[in-house]
Amino acid sequence: MVNVMKGILIKCDPVMKQFLLHLDETMKLGSKFVLVDLDECHLFVQPEVYNSLKNLIDEQYEKVYYNQKSSLE
Amino acid sequence: MYGPQTLTCKNLQEYLKSLSRDILDRLYNHPATCLAVFRELPALSRQFILRLLFVNKPVAQVLLASWIPQHDAGRDVGDIAAEHRQGTQVLLDMCIWQEVKDQQGNMAIRLSSTFRENLKVAILGGGRPWTMSATLDSDPHQRNVEFLDKYAMDRWESVLQFLVQPGRGQKAISRDAMRTLLHAGLIESSGESDNMQITSAGFQFLLLDTASQVWFFILKYLETVTERGMSLVACLTFLFKLSFSTLGKDYSMEGMDNELLTFLQHLREFGLVYLRKRSSGRFYPTRLALNITAGQNKGIIDVPKQGNLIIETNYRVYAYTTSELQISLLAIFCDIEGRFPNMVVASISRSSVRRALLKGIGAEQIISFLKQHCHPQMYKLSSVVPRTVADQIKLWEMERERLEFTEGVLYKDFMSLHDFNLLSNYASSNGVLIYSDERQRTMVVTKKGHPSIKTFWKEEQAK
Repeated sequence: MVNVMKGILIKCDPVMKQFLLHLDETMKLGSKFVLVDLDECHLFVQPEVYNSLKNLIDEQYEKVYYNQKSSLE
Repeated sequence: MYGPQTLTCKNLQEYLKSLSRDILDRLYNHPATCLAVFRELPALSRQFILRLLFVNKPVAQVLLASWIPQHDAGRDVGDIAAEHRQGTQVLLDMCIWQEVKDQQGNMAIRLSSTFRENLKVAILGGGRPWTMSATLDSDPHQRNVEFLDKYAMDRWESVLQFLVQPGRGQKAISRDAMRTLLHAGLIESSGESDNMQITSAGFQFLLLDTASQVWFFILKYLETVTERGMSLVACLTFLFKLSFSTLGKDYSMEGMDNELLTFLQHLREFGLVYLRKRSSGRFYPTRLALNITAGQNKGIIDVPKQGNLIIETNYRVYAYTTSELQISLLAIFCDIEGRFPNMVVASISRSSVRRALLKGIGAEQIISFLKQHCHPQMYKLSSVVPRTVADQIKLWEMERERLEFTEGVLYKDFMSLHDFNLLSNYASSNGVLIYSDERQRTMVVTKKGHPSIKTFWKEEQAK
C-alpha cells in the first residue's frame, strides 16, 4: 500500500534543517509541523505553516543580524 | 513555486490568445489590427502567412513542413523542429489559420479568410481608407510634439502619483481610473470605502518602465470595458488604429459613436490622447499611444526621457530631480538623507532594501529601476549600476530565501522497489518529480503533477 500525503517540500542547508527540527520539537509554532524528515537537506512539512514559518525565521534572522547603523546611534 | 506573487505582464500575443475565437474573428475585421498582429509574430510565422496570402485553397501540412530546411549548417535539428512547432502553434492559438482536411483527406491548413483579406488591404492598399482621417482645416490651436510629450507625462505621472500616495492624490484621478487600478489589484481599499492602499503588485508596477506600465494598465482597463457596457472589439480596433497614427498630427473625431467617445475620454485622462476641449472635434495622439502594442519590446516612449540618478559604489544615490514622484519612488527602497533645491541624497542600506523586499518587490526590479533612471554620465562606466551595489542587493534578497518551498505530494511505503521505480521514472519523464530517495522509497511530485500520477498508478494497478 502506498501512502500519499500533501504538504510542502522544503529544500535548505543542513544547518537550517537542524534549526527547523528544533522549532518542531520545541513546538514554537504551536504544534508539530514536520511530516517526514527526508534527508539532510530536505524536509516535508504541513502546508499550513508556510506563512508563520517564514515570518518566524525572518524574525530570528533580524535578531542575530549585526546592524551597524543602529549600534552606532 | 511557492512565494510572493510577481507582477506578470502579458505581451500582445499572449493577450490575444486569451481572447475567445469569436472576438478574434471580429477583431481581424480591420486592416490595422491585422498589421499590428502580423508585425509581432515570430519570423517563421510571418513567412508562412506571406506565402499563403494569395492561396485560397487549404494547403497540406506536409507541403508546409517541406518549406523548412531539415538540415542547416550550425543549427541543431531539434532547434529547427522547435521553431517550426512554435511558429505554427502561435498561428493556431491566435485563430489566424485553422486545421482542416483537404480533398484527399490529408491534414491541411487554411488561412482565416477575414485575416487574409484585411492583411492584403494593409499591405497592398485598396479598400476603404483605414487610418484615422485627418481633419481638413488646420487647427487654430495647433500643438507641437514637445507640448504633447509634456502633457502625456504629466497625466501619466498623476496616475503614478496617486499610486504612491493614494490618500493625497485622491482628486487627481477620476473614479474610472481608480476602478481600473482596483481591478488590476494595484491598490486595495483598507477598511473605509475611500481609503486606498497600495499593494505589493502596485509597488512592482511603479518600478516598471513607462511602456510596460501603459500596456499593463491598458490590458487591465480592457478587461473592464465590457462591464462598462462598451464593446471590447471596438476599443481594441481603435487602439490599434491609434498605434499607427503620427505624433504631432491632429485627427478628426467625426463619425465616432458614443461608446468610442467615452473610450477617448478615458484615454485622454491617462494621457494617451490630447483633447483641448471635449467638443473640439479633434484629438492628438501622444507618444504613450504610439506603438502601444509593442509593449516592452520597443522603447519609443522612453527615448526623450533622461535619467538623473548617480549611484556610487558606497551605496550613495544622488538624484538630480525635483519631481515629487521620483523622490517617493526612490524612498521605496532607499533611505532619503537630505533634500536640496535641485537634488536628493539617499543611501541604499540593508534595512531600506529589506523594507522593499517585505513589500514584495524583487531585487531584480530594484536594479532594473536604477538602470532605467541612470544619469547619462553613468553610461560611460562599464556597468551602469556599480557591481558591488547590484550584487549586494541580490545578496540581501537571497539571505531572506534560505528555504526553498515547493508545494507537493509525497508518496512513501512502496511495497516493492519495482513499483517505486516505475512511478518515479514516470514522474521524472513528465518533469513533475521534485525529490526521490530510492533507499527509503520515498518521492515527492509537484501538486500539479499529482492527478496524472494518480491515474497512471491506477492504470498500472488494474493491469
